[in-house]
Formats: sequence, C-alpha cells, structure tokens
Amino acid sequence: MPSATLIGQSVLSGVFIGALYGLLGLGLSLSWGMLRQVNLAHFALAFLGGYLTFQLAGRLDPFVTLAVTVPLFFLAGMALHWFLSRYAADMLNTLLVTFGLTTIIESAIQRIWTADFQRMESAYGAMRWKVGAFYIPFPEAATLLIAMALCGAMWALLRFTDFGRAARAMTEDPAMAAAFGVNEKRLGYVISGLAAAFAAVAGMCLALTHTLAPVQIYAWMGVVFAGVMIGGLGSAIGPLAAGILIGVSEALTMALTAPTWAPLVSFTLLIAIILLRPARF
Amino acid sequence: MTIDRRRALAAAGALLSTVAFPGALRAQGKPVRIGSSLPITGPLASLAIIHKVTAEICVENLNKRGGLLGRPVEWVLRDDQSKPELTRTIYEQLITADKVDLIFSPYATASILAAMGVAQRYNKVLLHTSFGIPKLAKYDMQFQTAGSPFDPENVWPNHIFDAAAKLPKPPKTVAIVTSKFPSVHHISVGAREVLKKRGLTNVLDIEYEFGNRDYGAIAQRVKEANPDFLWGGTNGIDPVLMLEAMSKIDYRPPAQVHLFPAPGPMLKVPAAQGSLALTTFESHPPFTDDPAIAQFVHTYAARAKEAGIPYTAVDLQSAIMYAAWQVLEAAVDGTRSLDDKTIAAWLKQNEVKTLFGTLRWNGPQNYVEGADLYKVKQLQQGRWVVIHPQQWAAPGAKPV
Amino acid sequence: MRAAGGFVLFGLALGAIPFLGLPAFYETFLYLLLHAVVLATSWNILSGYSGYFSFGHGAFFGTGVYVTAALVAQYDWHFLATLPLAAGAAAALGLALGAVVFRVRALRGELFALLTLAITFVLATIMLNKVDGGPGIQVMTDIPRLAPTASGALYLLMLAIALLALWSARAVFYSRFGTGLFAIHDDEDVAEVMGVPTYRFKLAAFCLSCALAGLAGGIHAVFVSYVTVAETFSIALAVNVVLMSALGGTRHWLGPAIGAIVITALLYGFTAGEAPVLGRALVGVILIAVIVLMPEGILGKLLTPSPRKRRARTNSGTEPELRSGNERAPSPNSEPMLVARGVSKSFKGVQALVEASFEVRRGEILGLVGPNGSGKSTFINVVSGHYLADGGSLLFEGEELLGRPAHRIARAGIARTYQVPRPFAHLSVLDNVALPPMFGRVTMDRASAEAEAWRWLEFTGLAGKAHARPAELNLHQRKFLELARALASRPKLLFLDEVLSGLTPTEMDEAIRLVRAIREQGATIVFVEHVMRAVMELTDRVVVLTYGRPIAAGLPRDVMRDPQVIDAYLGGRMREEGSIYA
Repeated sequence: MPSATLIGQSVLSGVFIGALYGLLGLGLSLSWGMLRQVNLAHFALAFLGGYLTFQLAGRLDPFVTLAVTVPLFFLAGMALHWFLSRYAADMLNTLLVTFGLTTIIESAIQRIWTADFQRMESAYGAMRWKVGAFYIPFPEAATLLIAMALCGAMWALLRFTDFGRAARAMTEDPAMAAAFGVNEKRLGYVISGLAAAFAAVAGMCLALTHTLAPVQIYAWMGVVFAGVMIGGLGSAIGPLAAGILIGVSEALTMALTAPTWAPLVSFTLLIAIILLRPARF
Repeated sequence: MTIDRRRALAAAGALLSTVAFPGALRAQGKPVRIGSSLPITGPLASLAIIHKVTAEICVENLNKRGGLLGRPVEWVLRDDQSKPELTRTIYEQLITADKVDLIFSPYATASILAAMGVAQRYNKVLLHTSFGIPKLAKYDMQFQTAGSPFDPENVWPNHIFDAAAKLPKPPKTVAIVTSKFPSVHHISVGAREVLKKRGLTNVLDIEYEFGNRDYGAIAQRVKEANPDFLWGGTNGIDPVLMLEAMSKIDYRPPAQVHLFPAPGPMLKVPAAQGSLALTTFESHPPFTDDPAIAQFVHTYAARAKEAGIPYTAVDLQSAIMYAAWQVLEAAVDGTRSLDDKTIAAWLKQNEVKTLFGTLRWNGPQNYVEGADLYKVKQLQQGRWVVIHPQQWAAPGAKPV
Repeated sequence: MRAAGGFVLFGLALGAIPFLGLPAFYETFLYLLLHAVVLATSWNILSGYSGYFSFGHGAFFGTGVYVTAALVAQYDWHFLATLPLAAGAAAALGLALGAVVFRVRALRGELFALLTLAITFVLATIMLNKVDGGPGIQVMTDIPRLAPTASGALYLLMLAIALLALWSARAVFYSRFGTGLFAIHDDEDVAEVMGVPTYRFKLAAFCLSCALAGLAGGIHAVFVSYVTVAETFSIALAVNVVLMSALGGTRHWLGPAIGAIVITALLYGFTAGEAPVLGRALVGVILIAVIVLMPEGILGKLLTPSPRKRRARTNSGTEPELRSGNERAPSPNSEPMLVARGVSKSFKGVQALVEASFEVRRGEILGLVGPNGSGKSTFINVVSGHYLADGGSLLFEGEELLGRPAHRIARAGIARTYQVPRPFAHLSVLDNVALPPMFGRVTMDRASAEAEAWRWLEFTGLAGKAHARPAELNLHQRKFLELARALASRPKLLFLDEVLSGLTPTEMDEAIRLVRAIREQGATIVFVEHVMRAVMELTDRVVVLTYGRPIAAGLPRDVMRDPQVIDAYLGGRMREEGSIYA
C-alpha cells in the first residue's frame, strides 16, 4: 500500500516539474496562438538563457541575472519577430526558420560551453522547507511561484488591459482588429518580445533546478509541445495547467508502478482528454 | 587487406632510412591512415570530446615516437552525430572510398555494432572502446580495449558487492534503481541474480526510462524502502539528478553504487559522497607510477582545460581510448604489418600491457570470461579513488 | 503513360548503380538519401496535401522497424517476409488512429499534430517495456543477394520503396483523390459540401502514408542491425520529415524528395570537416537562407505559379451546352422537391431555426428572404450538411437529408454558394470549378471535369481568369466563381446565398441574367437575397423567415404586402413581443 507521503511528495514533485513545463510553454503558446509562429527556437533560447545565467552566476545571484537576460531576450524576441514576419510569413516556414535558428544556437552553445554537462551551483540548491511530512525545495518552489506569477500576470494582462484585448482580437480576426485600429505589427513585437523574455526566465529556472547540456534542448520539446497544445494555443494559464497535469500523472505513475510506464500514462491521458472533450478546442 | 608492393617499398625505404640515420627516428613516408567516427554532435557529444582529446594526444605521442612502422599516423575522424546509421555509412566511406589502412572505434554500443557490421563485411579488424553488451559482439575480428569481461552482468555486480562488503557497514538490503539504457540495464539484470546468490535482500526494484527528468517519486520510494545499499544502474547525468532529488527530501543512501556516472558533476553533490562506481583507471598511484602515464595525465589535464571540458582528470572514458591506441601500436609493432587478419591473429595470441592492466582476448568472442580489468572506485572528499581490488587501490585509501 | 516510362527508366538507371563496381560507400550514402526520400514523401501524402500535420511519423516508422526486428530476431522470420507485416502493422495503427481522430469534427490542425506526437511517446514506451525490454534488439540476418554487396542489396530494396512512394505520391497528386485532399487542405468544410468524402480520403491518405513509413522501417531495421527505442522513436525524425517536405515544397509530389536529398546531403557533408559543430550551425544558416529566398519551398519556387497547370485549354468558342440533368421543363406549380418539416437548429441558446416548415417546388425560383439573423444562411447550412439540425425532417425527392454526411448530400444533387465566397485558395480558378464535377452528382474523371469546368467558366465570364488564383479576383468575380463552382456539379437544387450583395447595379443585372439562364436549364433555385428588386424580378414564390420561423409564403407581391412581413422588416408588433434571442 503506497504511503500518503509517497503519493503526496510525488504529486509535489510532479507539480514542480509541471510548472517548468508550463513556464517553458508560456512563450511558445503565446507566439503560436497569437502570432501563428511555431517557434521551435524557443527551447534553444530558454537553454541559452540558462547557460547565460550559469555563466553570470559566478558573480551575480541567479535571480539578479534576470536583469541582464530578460531585457536582452526581449530585444531578441522582437528581432526574431521582425525577421519572421518579413521573411517567413507562413506558419510552416516559421517552423523551418526557427529550426535553423535552433541548430545555430545549439552549435554556439556547444562551442562556448562544450557538449558536457554544466551544473550551476548556488546556495539556493540546498535550501528547502519541511511542511509536515513533505519537503519543498527552494529552487523548485521558486520556479512554481515564478510560473504562476508570470502566467497569472499574462492572463490578467490579456483579460483586463487594452493591450490584452487588442491581442485577443488580433488572434481571432486580424483583419477585423486592424479595422478597429489594432496595430498588429506593434502588438506582434511586444508579444514576441515577451515570449522570448519568458524563455529567459524559464532558462534561469532550468539552470537553477536542472543540469544543462546542448542535447537537452530537444529533450523537452515533446512534452512541452504537448502541454501547449493541450492547454490551448494563445492561452496564458493553459500550458501551466496542462504541464502540471502531465507532471503529476507521470510522477504518480512513477510512484505507484514501474516508472518506465510514465510517458505512456501521461500521453494516454492527453489523448483521452482530446478525444473526450474536443469541443473545448 | 594485402600489403601491396608500393607500400612494401615505402616500408623498406623507411626502414633503410632509420638504419642509415640511426639518430633520426622520425616518422616519415606515406602516412598510416586510421579512420573512425565519434559523436561530436548529438546526445553523446559530451563523451566524444573526452575520446577526441585523448586520441589526439595519443596520435601526437605516437608520431613523436616514430609513428607506426616508421610512418606518420594520420587520424581521419568524422562526426557520426550519435546516429548509428551514419556510423555505418561513415565506416563504409572510410573503408571503400577513403581507403584508410585501419579502422578504429566509434563510441557506444549502437555505433560500435554498426561499425562492426561494416568491418565484418570487409574483413577489417576493429578495436573498440565502449561496447556495453559483449554477447552481441559476434564478429570474429573485433577486440575490445576496455577490459570488460564476457559476462559483465555477472562479474561486475560481484565486484561491486565485494567492494561493498568491505565498507564499514556491509549492506544486507539492496534497492535496485536502473535506467533502461541498454548497457547499464544489462548489468542491473545480472545484479538481481547476483545479490540473491550472495544472500542479500532486494527491497525495491524499479526501472525508469533513460532521459527521465523528474526523480522525485523515485527518490521517495527509495527513501521509504530504506535500503542499506542503493544499486544505481545509471549512467551520465542520471545519478546526479537522482541524488539531488533525494537530497531535496533529506535522504541520503547509507551506501550506493552508480555504474557509470559522469564523474565531474558527481563531485559536487554532497549526497554522492561515498558512492561507488566502476572504472578502469583513475589518476592516482599505482596507475600513475609509470612516468609516461603520469605525463599523459598531465597533458590531458591541460588539453581538456583548453577544450573547455569541466572535468580534467583522466578516468574511465579517457583511459579506454588511450588503451585502444596502446593496443593498436602494440599489435602493429608486434606484427610489423597493417594487415587486418595478421593483426587479429596476433591479438588472439598475445597480451598487451595497458595503463590499467594487461588486456588479452583468448576467451569467448575474444572476451575473457569471469575476469576483467574493471575496478571499483569511491567518491571520497571530492575525489574519486579506487578502493577495490586492493592492488589497484589508491595508497592509503580505505572504503568509507 | 509517359510518366510510367520515365519512372521505369529512372528506376533502372539508379538500380544499376550497385553493379557499377563503385565503392560500397556510395550505395550506403544513397540508401540514406532514399530513406529520407521515402519518409518525407510518405509524410507529405497526408500532411502536405491535406494540411493535417502529423508529428508522429516516427511512430509508424518505428512500428515497421520493431515488427521486422522482433520477427527476425525473436522468431527467426525471413527478413523479406516481414516487410508486408511491417507495412501492414503501421497502416493498421494509422487506420485505428485515423478512424477515431478524423471522425471528430472539432479535431483539426494542431490537435492532430498533438495526437500523433503523443502516439509516438505511447508507442515508444510500449515497445520499450514489452517488445524490447531495454537492451535493444540485434537484427542479424542474411540479406538477399540482390546485388554484389549487402549494402547494394539494401540500397536496391530502399530504391524500390522510394520509387513506390514517389509513384504513389504522384498518382495521388494527379488524381481525383489528390484534388480532394488539396481541397481539404484549403477548406475542409467546403470540400465536404462539394462532395468530397473527407473522412474516407483522409483515412486513405493516412494509411498509405503510414504503410510506406512502416515499409521503410522494416528495411531500416536490417540496415542498422541493432535497434533501440531511443534511436527509433526520437522526435528528430518527426521534425525532420516536416522540414524536408517544407523545404522542397509540400504542394508537389516531388517536393519532399528534393528537400530530403538536400537536407540529408548537407548534414552528411558537414560531418567530414574539421569543425562539425560549425558545420551544423552552417546547415542552420543555409536552411534559413533557403526558406527566405524560396518561401514556397524549392519546387514551389522553380515551378510555375500553378504547379498543377495542365495543357492550357483555350476557349473552344462553342456555346456551353446548357442542358442540365433535369429534363423536365420548369413549371412553378410542380410537385415539391424539398420539404422541410419542423427543422430546428440552435447554437448555445440562440435559436437560429425554430420549427421551420416550407417546401421548394421543382423548377421554381424560390426567394428566401427575411431580416438579418432570421436563419436563412443557417437553413442553407443545414440543408447542405454543414450543420446538424436539432430536430425535424428534410426530405429531398423523398429521401431524408438530415443526418446525412455533407458529401452525400452533394451527391444527391444539392449545391450552394457562400455568402462570403470561400474558394479553395491554393487551387486555380479552373481547379476550383473542376472539383465539384468530380465529386458531385455526376462523378466525372479529371478530363471531363475540366471540360465541364471550362463551360461554366465561360458561362460566368471567367474563362480569361482560369489559371489565376482566387486571391487575384475581385469580389464580383469571386462571387461568380462561387456560382460557377456550384453549377459545375449540375445540381438539381441550387442555393444561392446573397449572390448579389456587394455588387454594382451593372454587375447585378448580369447576375440576374445568369440566374435566369440557370433556371432555364432546369435547375431549381432557392434564392436568398436582400436586394428586393431582384427578388421581385426573379422569384416565382417567396418564403419569409423571421427569428428562425417562416411567417409567410406565396407569390412575391402578396407576401410583400403581408402586414406581418412589413412588421418583421420595420419593427412594431414583433419587437413588442420580445426577442427570442436571449
């Protein structure tokens, strides 16, 4: 009989990793849903952000490195949007171009930091709290809070501000929105910049909680894409919710049965959800 | 491959020149071309760079000593992107288009098998470094340079449990956590049997998928099973992730082994201290008693640093590559030939002394059954030191 | 048959390579190219043509790999004998997945991609745990002596499959099946309404695609001789086939092959150099450059704007043969053709149609009028099969229409135009009009369909624009395109949804003339319009709808003088009673 601690701690573990899936998925979901750009390079950007955090962490607190990476990546996101909207308007072409960009970034990372595993050391790594029988490690908890904060902020932005309304209108009907004065170009830059900024944040969380290696860029693609699609393109909260669902279902499988079945359970769950509730989409 | 007349003449010429100019033992003449591939890009790239740096040093040293048969050695290296299908193609290219003299090892079981198939078709001898499942090596002219036994799934668990028995508190209960990565999985399967035979109790037995990201549940399960000894059938970065997850729930296995961890990252994990692992070589005496080896260790540290490799000590991965070049040199010198069949025949009859022991190939499928050159090392105070078998243990090192 | 000859020659030329005595490396390298060609081409048959992006091609390839590997290694089968099973298993998997997925109307685009991606992980886990167990499967077997070397033999096998894949892709491309897929790509709902059996076609394309992938997998198992789950079911394959097809051009049968060759050769070429890492980055740069310069893919750029243009048919100058399938002379008081009884349809609380009952008589022009939002378009959508009615019955020549799939309704002889024109954007004007005759009431082959299309283009005055894309037409022309398209299938009953809106008075006159001409051929027309002048001029009878309900039916003059009708248009009593629209 599995203990309550096992189940509880596993659920926590799943939530934590799910938060990272969600954080990674946030930017992807926004650019895919709103700008119709499938930005494969989002993962490479996130890892680049992670590596930059790793590099700067020697001198700065990891959280402080965000002051450097976030603005930088925001600009990069804008540049990317400029390039994509100018040269690769078709959704399929954005996939191609961003794939090319991914290999470029990956090669650059390998050149600078080698293909070997790099682990950022910080004092935060050892910090944790005990709540009852459960442990809450600081880096993971921070990631969860950051994910919730950013997704929540984005949701509120989309829901309550003019910018958000304009963005949502643009997503639904660009021509109509333009007729009402929504500046698609400007919005596009902002959204793309935000998405890249989110990648920078996700990268920092990755560096904080995981080990970095260039090959890891591809390892997260499948599960994050799944989370984004399940959560709904263009949604701010969706990827987080979906990510947590995936993480928890995998963790519970690993807790209760043979862990090798974990991907089967989470993805079968996704398939079931899609088939049973397609009307959502 | 037969030695054609041209080459024979060149060899004769080289020989004559060394006789005529005894002081100048320079490598000269048409280069001996050795061809191989490594996963310079792709998932296995982190291991490839170690092999590459090591091989480059070996080739340099070899050429300083006069090369092979007095001729300079040229190493033709390609990137197989960690894909066995590319490995196969590259080896065919090396043999049939580039027409290299000899082929050499790629990295890891799948690629080596691909290269082996090609070698078999063209009757080329293949020395290989990192083959994980000896039973699958069915080609007659393949020779491993890692020191692995034919039945590692039997030998290595016994080795490890022998070492564990020497620990201050010899374990009685074992939890097995293994990835499905083919080579380590193979060993863990054997471990299950071995521990039964030794009278140990298996309190937990779980397998996970290689590439798993979340070890929280697994860590909790191990903690609750409360074993004396954690058998980690893991490699690469997995053990680090696993131990970190355990640290996060305030758990530390009393004793543990992780088969083939990436050595560098493990150093920094507090929960990893005391962990056992398998190795062939570590950069301390008695391994480094030989001045040439000590020199190599020194050179490698400098080159590794240049290349940006975080862990600059020579250990298992570098050593098996170094040994491969030692074997190649010994075989070619021993036969005075570059002919594959001749070299293969020689290897079956002879031994080669390498930096971690004496290699021989007179057992089933050219392996040696029941014995090997692997040792058990332990992470003590931020350093990996061999603790078992005794004759290879670091001076003064005791199992802790 | 020129194409068949070309293929045979091509195949023989390539097939001769193993016998030329070249270093075996070339055969292996060519194998890699062909392998990529098969995967990309097979992927494109469903995903490129129909727009249903699959991210799970690796799953079907992997199925083939593991079927062959398991049968050879664990059950000692002869390798060639496993190939049909490899293909079959992959196709069966595709069939199972497609049967469930394609049925659900709401599942489009990204969701199909997600599902196929998920299947890859599911299958990989099952294979890892049940079939492989962990250590991988070693496939050691004798390769049939088809060529002097083993590499050559495998190359020939893969060549055969590549030729098969290319031939299939080409055959589909030029067939009715392919036209249907391309229509699905542009606008699946409209395609269905035009008579394309979308479910069946998607399923067939999917199965073909999967079977080819499985076949390639079976051979690949022997090529690599050691299969592991991680290597086989990687996401890299899924992404790579998309890239290859997009690079070469997804709208052409040869596109994926070209992209496959370019990418594989590039990647391989850069491994030999001194700096593989740099080389890899360079490949990324090249990829970006190619896409920037050739947004429609390599082939898209190289070929003419209408890649599927045939030998141009010129205006033959003959008067269009205007006899339709309806031999009966039109007479406004003939028997009912379409009888609507209590048809209801609501959307999330909004009642678009409420117990609508009226009839359309054979040979008449029936005007269907009413204020905006009265349910006119909804009715058309229900009749044509776009929407499923909530209740009631709709008898067309005695047969119940409700519940029938839209493409069968089209077959029965019903056609409609769209208020906002919905042409197939990537097909030429000619192809747009040629589609319904291939799938409508009279299913013609491509040549006859095109001839038919020319007639209707001339009839509507669009013959000069036959090879243009719909985007190049102005609104008037696009409306006439709608008309031509609807007429091309020679329907018995034609619904015209606000054909005149947005037209200038002159254009309107022309349209009215056309509508009359159409009726002269014997079609029955339901004419939905706001332009009262036209309604009064053209229609034999008028039905007025308000808030989803018919409130009057009869001769135009009488109906327009009906006080209820006046109220409906100008407000008054109806508004006092409150709106049904909650």
